[in-house]
Amino acid sequence: MLQNDADKSQSSRAEKAPEQTALYDQHIGLTDKSHIVSFAGYLMPLWYSSIAAEHNAVREAAGVFDCTHMGILEISGAGAGEFIDLLTTNSITNLKPGRAQYSFILDTSGGVLDDVIVYRKDRDEFFVVVNAANNARIKNWINALLKDEICIDPEDAGRKVSTTPRVRDLRGTDCRDDCRVDIALQGPKSPDVLSVLIRDKEARLQVANLRPFEFMETDIEGIGCLVSHTGYTGAKRGFELFVHPDKASRLWEAILQAGRPLGLLPCGLGSRDSLRIEAGLPLYGHELAGEFGISPFEAGCGWAVKLEKEFFIGKTAMEQISREYDMKVARIELPAAKGIRPVRQNDGVLDKNRRSIGWVLSCARIGERQIALVYADRESMEENDAVGLYYSARSRSQIQQGRKQSIEKGELLEPDLTGKVVGRFAKF
Amino acid sequence: MVIEGLLYTKDHEWARIDADVATIGITDYAQQMLGELVFVELPDVGKQCAGDDELAVVESTKAANDIYAPVAGKVIEANDELEAQPELINQDCYNAGWICRLQITDVKSVESLMDSKQYEEYLAGL
Repeated sequence: MLQNDADKSQSSRAEKAPEQTALYDQHIGLTDKSHIVSFAGYLMPLWYSSIAAEHNAVREAAGVFDCTHMGILEISGAGAGEFIDLLTTNSITNLKPGRAQYSFILDTSGGVLDDVIVYRKDRDEFFVVVNAANNARIKNWINALLKDEICIDPEDAGRKVSTTPRVRDLRGTDCRDDCRVDIALQGPKSPDVLSVLIRDKEARLQVANLRPFEFMETDIEGIGCLVSHTGYTGAKRGFELFVHPDKASRLWEAILQAGRPLGLLPCGLGSRDSLRIEAGLPLYGHELAGEFGISPFEAGCGWAVKLEKEFFIGKTAMEQISREYDMKVARIELPAAKGIRPVRQNDGVLDKNRRSIGWVLSCARIGERQIALVYADRESMEENDAVGLYYSARSRSQIQQGRKQSIEKGELLEPDLTGKVVGRFAKF
Repeated sequence: MVIEGLLYTKDHEWARIDADVATIGITDYAQQMLGELVFVELPDVGKQCAGDDELAVVESTKAANDIYAPVAGKVIEANDELEAQPELINQDCYNAGWICRLQITDVKSVESLMDSKQYEEYLAGL
C-alpha cells in the first residue's frame, strides 16, 4: 500500500538517490514531508494543500510551480540554427528572436526522444527546455550527433552534421552566472502577481503584453529573469521564469508573498498533472512515446512536425506515419459523482457498440467530471461521440470476480461508465 | 497522530479489538499519504479473510491502494457511509472513517500486530 503513481512510473528511472531541487527548503517549509515524492530523480511535493485546491487556484487565480528540475540546454554560436533545424521537427526559419516554439526530438527511425520548447534569444543563440526524465538522454543524443557517431539519414549515409555549435547544460554549475532554472507562474492572476513585483513601469507593461510563446528579459523584485509566456496548464495567461538557481528561492518567496493576497497557491505534481490533463496536453511516456510508441501525429501535435523542411532526423518515418495512422489520442469526459470509482491508466475504452477500441493513458478528477486522455480508434473518436469505459481489475479479488486485468482490442465488454469525446485541447 | 489502545500493521491499518470482534481502518499516516479519498470498495459481509488477505480498496485522486486484513476473520459489518462519503477517512480515520468489522477466527493473528508505541517507533524509522 501507499505507493503513489508518480513513484511507480519514475522509480525505475531514478537509479541513484533522488536529488533535492533548488527549492527543497521551501517545500519542506510549506508541506508535510510525507507529501514529498521522488519524481524523475528529484524530491518534489505531490501537493502542499490539496490537489483540488491547487488546481482551482490556477483556474481561478494563480499557482506557482517548482520546475527547477526541468532540463535547460543552450545551443549557440555559428551554425546553431542549422543544428536545431536538423535536431527538431518544427522549423526555426520563421522563429524570431524573443519567440519560442513547441517541437519534438526524434531518433533516426522516428521514435520520440522528447517533446521540447525551443527558445530563440538571438540569431545564433537558442535554449531548449527538455523533460527532467529525458535530460541525460537528450544531452547524450546531442553529443553523439556532434561527434558524428550516428548515421542521421538512413537514406543518405553521406549526410552529416556539418556544424558544431556550443552546447551547455544551463543547470550545470560550470555555467556560473549563466546558470538558469525554471519556475512556472500560471493562471489568470499571474500578470497581476508580476506587476506587483516588476518595478520598472515600461517592463511591467511589456510583460503584461507578452503574447503566447513570446519572452523577454527583465528584473523581477530586483532579480534578473527571462520571462516567457509559456506553460503546461492550459491557462491562457501564464509564465515561466528562468532565473539563476541561487536566486530561485528568493523569487519563489517573492511570488508567494505578492500572490497570496490574490489567491495564489504553491502547486505540486498532482495539480500539475490534473491541469495538463484537463487541457489535453501530452506527457512524455503517456500521450507521447511510451508503451504504445505514440507519434506526434497520433498525439494531435502533427502541426509541430514540418514535413516541408528539407530534412530533420526522423523525417522519413514521420512522412509515412502522417499518411497512415488508425489510432489517436483523444480527450473524453466521464462522470465523477460520489461513489464513482476513479478511472485509471490501462482501463478500457469502448465504442457505442461496447467494442473495446483502446485504453486510458491518463485521467484526472476535476469537480464532478473525470477527464481522461485515451489512445483509441481514430474513427470512433470524433467530438461528441459516445464512449464507454471498462475498469480493468486492480486487485486479486476483482480478478476472482471475473474482471479483466488487461483488455484486448475488439473484445465486447459491458461499460462501467459512459461519457463522450470532447475537444482535443482546452484553454482556460 | 497515533491512538493508544489500537493495534497497527506495517501497511498502516489499525485494528480496535473488542472481545472477538476487530474494527478495521487505516491510520492517520496512511490517509495523509493518500490525500483526498474519492472511492472506497468495501468487502462483502460474510467474506472470510486470512490475515494479510485483501479486504478493501481505497482510492485517492492519485492512487488506488489495497487494504489488507490485519487479523484473520469473517466480515460481519462494513461502513456503508464510506460509499457516499469516502472523505470520512480523511476527516476522522480512527472513528467515523472505520472500514469494516471482522469476527476474529484466529486469535493468534492478533499477536503479530504492533501496539501504539511500537507503531510510533516504526513511523519514526520510515
